[in-house]
Amino acid sequence: MQESGDEKRFYSDKLKHAIHLLLFKRGKMPGAKEWELKASIGKNYKQVISQLDALLSDFDLQVKKVEPEHHQNRHLVEGELESTDDARYFVTLRGTLAPKEARLSGWRIDNLAALTVAIAYIVTKQGKAPREEVEKLLAEKVGRWKTLTLLDAFTRNGYLKEDEAGSLSLGWRTLSEVNLRDLMTLLAETGR
Amino acid sequence: MTSPNAKPERVRLASGRKDLRELIQTCQAVRERKFNPFFLDVALAVETLRKYFPFWDLLDDHCLDAQTINDLAEVLNLQKSQLRYQSSALYTAPEALEKKLRALSVKRLGETFLKSWHPIVEREQLTVGGIREGLRYWDQMLSFEERRKRLRLGRAAPPTPTDLDSLVRSGIMTREDFAKNLRKLWEELRTQTAENGAVKYWSFVRRETYEETVQRAYYVSFLLTYGFAKMARGDTDMTLVGLDTPTGKVAEGSVSYPIAITRSSESQIEQGIGT
Repeated sequence: MQESGDEKRFYSDKLKHAIHLLLFKRGKMPGAKEWELKASIGKNYKQVISQLDALLSDFDLQVKKVEPEHHQNRHLVEGELESTDDARYFVTLRGTLAPKEARLSGWRIDNLAALTVAIAYIVTKQGKAPREEVEKLLAEKVGRWKTLTLLDAFTRNGYLKEDEAGSLSLGWRTLSEVNLRDLMTLLAETGR
Repeated sequence: MTSPNAKPERVRLASGRKDLRELIQTCQAVRERKFNPFFLDVALAVETLRKYFPFWDLLDDHCLDAQTINDLAEVLNLQKSQLRYQSSALYTAPEALEKKLRALSVKRLGETFLKSWHPIVEREQLTVGGIREGLRYWDQMLSFEERRKRLRLGRAAPPTPTDLDSLVRSGIMTREDFAKNLRKLWEELRTQTAENGAVKYWSFVRRETYEETVQRAYYVSFLLTYGFAKMARGDTDMTLVGLDTPTGKVAEGSVSYPIAITRSSESQIEQGIGT
């Protein structure tokens, strides 16, 4: 029988290297791809990541594995799917921000409200909705001028994605940062 | 009495093509989420395909038939996805949710989002490669004085501190918000349209000073581009109409139409180049 004490403690160098890869942005997207971690840290990268995750929990942070977008979009409508090798790892907040801390994220609360409306509407439309419908709904909340600016900002930041036909869908950042199940449940439960 | 093998005479190929094109368009609208996937009666669509299939002779018609089948298959796939989605935990009736989104206050919506949001922690920084590239660019760049010499502008005045007043005077900044100004002008145009119908472009844009005129023309161009107003061009003048229900986006097939505003002339000279 194997004892739990047998668990290897990885050299701090590997942990440091892993956190560098995860936190420092090198390309357009933050985080690191699974193959990148495997190549840099070695075959035990999953154990290193799990140890790092335990360390980060003290700071209310976590290492999150996110499947690629196309895989997530399928997951949204087709239920559970098997994991792929192309997943990306990020460091995210383990808990959530209090309303007073919302400004720390760089977004104002009314902009976050607009993002909520856009995301929730797209989710009810199975992950894709015509831009004009989202604009119309948002304009009632934040006004027409702001709607146009905000939708562009959400698209630029990866929260939403627009295709050639003018349809909006959920972007990589929404799929990585937002717990859609929680959001939809909370919206259903929330009163005025 | 007609024999069962006789071709139905009334079947016209043109109407068959029209039916198939309409089916393709409906499928496309469903794909773009303009309609619910169940809006399309697939059985009826298949029946239509069967009705016309024996009469297709040309390659184009067969291609049209194949494309319709392909599009119908995609709609069927969307119907399947919709059923799966409706049985998942994420499902909320769209009408009910829309109502709720309208009713909830901005603050409440923001707070709800915060409870399900786990933002990514990331750090942007300079990389060694980036620093090298920056240094190389800096080394190769001529000094400001050298670059000025090339333009033969003479010696530059030494830099002096500036304040908001001078920036406003130079026209670099305004005291009022851009969106606020735009909205004000839109309201003005709508009021004038309601009172007098179409408004003449120059009488709306022209003001006492050249700067004010240019500024109003600049704002009007935004109103036109984003569908808050309409412009009509006659032989001698141009008119504006403020729209109560703007489209808010650049209209398809819109054309760029430059209008020159000269400082000297009493009546601004207009010169249009249609594209």
